[in-house]
Amino acid sequence: MAEASVKESTKTEDWVKLNRKPVADPGFDETVKNLTTEKIEKAVNAVLNIGKNGARFMAPLETCIHCALCSNACHWYLSHDKDPTYAPVAKVKMTLWELIKRKGKVSPEFMKQVARIVFCECNLCRRCSMYCPFGLDIAFQLGMVRRMCFILGLVPQNILDQTHSLSATLTQLWITQGDWIDTMQWQEEEVRGEIKNVRIPIDKEGAEVMWCPLGTEPKVATYHIARTAKIMNVAGIDWTVAAQDGWDSANMGMFIRDMETMQRVVRGIYDNAMRLKIKRIVLTE
Amino acid sequence: MLDFIRDLSLYNFVRGPLVWIAFLIFIGGSIYKVRGMILLAKKEKVVQPYMSFKLSLRSILHWVFPFASVNWRSRWVISTATFLFHVGLVILPIFLLAHNVLIYESWGISWWTVSEGFADIMTMIVIACCGFFFVRRIFAPEVRFVTFADDYLILAIAFLPFITGFLAYHQWLLPHKIMVILHMIFGSLMLIAIPFTRLGHMLYFFLTRAYMGSDQGYRHSQDW
Repeated sequence: MAEASVKESTKTEDWVKLNRKPVADPGFDETVKNLTTEKIEKAVNAVLNIGKNGARFMAPLETCIHCALCSNACHWYLSHDKDPTYAPVAKVKMTLWELIKRKGKVSPEFMKQVARIVFCECNLCRRCSMYCPFGLDIAFQLGMVRRMCFILGLVPQNILDQTHSLSATLTQLWITQGDWIDTMQWQEEEVRGEIKNVRIPIDKEGAEVMWCPLGTEPKVATYHIARTAKIMNVAGIDWTVAAQDGWDSANMGMFIRDMETMQRVVRGIYDNAMRLKIKRIVLTE
Repeated sequence: MLDFIRDLSLYNFVRGPLVWIAFLIFIGGSIYKVRGMILLAKKEKVVQPYMSFKLSLRSILHWVFPFASVNWRSRWVISTATFLFHVGLVILPIFLLAHNVLIYESWGISWWTVSEGFADIMTMIVIACCGFFFVRRIFAPEVRFVTFADDYLILAIAFLPFITGFLAYHQWLLPHKIMVILHMIFGSLMLIAIPFTRLGHMLYFFLTRAYMGSDQGYRHSQDW
């Protein structure tokens, strides 16, 4: 059955096949081997059915007049000598419109190209919405396509691994609570070489500011923590970091539209802020 | 064929019931579509709470003024064409003398009109803009890549009432009466098509702009 429908879709194959330098990523290359047209159809329709119940998804579909005025907003388009296949509306055409037209009945090969377009050729920066005369949320639509790819597991391996880490430990890079607290105390000692009696207050209740770093900082860029500690202390800010899980603001789930992990990360930070009675949350960016 | 078109019954149907049907479908369909979209927006948790009347209005005004936004300024040719085209599209049907005369004869009311010479020039501009959009669809690579058959269709739906009206006014090509009948048919077709094709951007423009204006304004940003 699966083979039959794949054949059917290759028979009527009239989708734009891009001739691009291949992106070697096990997240694409290995996952696509396990996909069938039926699996894709199920995932695509699951997302489309949610989309149909919301105006943010439907309004752009019914409004877009195909004027391509969004193209000049896109840095991908501009940096590829105005190649029309990099224009925002072209990306929507090659992914979402095709999937809707075929009701999700597409070949794994097609889906691999879709994943490449939405993950490797679009940053969801929403600049195109600033150039669209209607203010259509093009990035939201491509985000919905990312969601389809995520459900199929067709995601760059690096991001998927970090999202797995977030869903298991609420940190981006598999950091345990012990490692986290240890790193903060180690950095406190480091900064004391420069500023006398510096503190990195951990779990201080009622502080003004709670700082939520990215997981990368305790893992590979500890000097960021030292610098933040210096700035906070010299500026005289009443600050703290949370000891419990939910201190990591690297929300990789957001990028691949893993909504479940995404909301758990945000909830973790807010839970910590409520627990410590914080007035302001400061994130690394 | 021409005899059939010259027949008075067709003329009476076109200027009577057909116009009523077209307007009813246009108004009813518009209300139905806009209401449907607003209900969809209310279902979303992150749309309704951020909507702001002030920010929506700011965004809409920012984009309906020519050359107010960055994109309109950076592409002055398409901007000029777009604005002339849409101004003509809205002003001409409402403020044309001939349309006003018809309404005055039927209901005894009328409003101020644009002069016939101005209307003539404006119609030519609208027709030229249609030609420009058509050429752009064919020759601009980024537009051609996303052009489908229905894009030409909706351009034709907008184009036909104006070209037939123009030809009827000058009494060229076909006998006046036939051209007027064609003009009325195409005008009705356009009214009917607005809610049910992507010509509906006329209605959704205000909704989508209001959303993006509120969304950006909430983040203390503004439209470019």
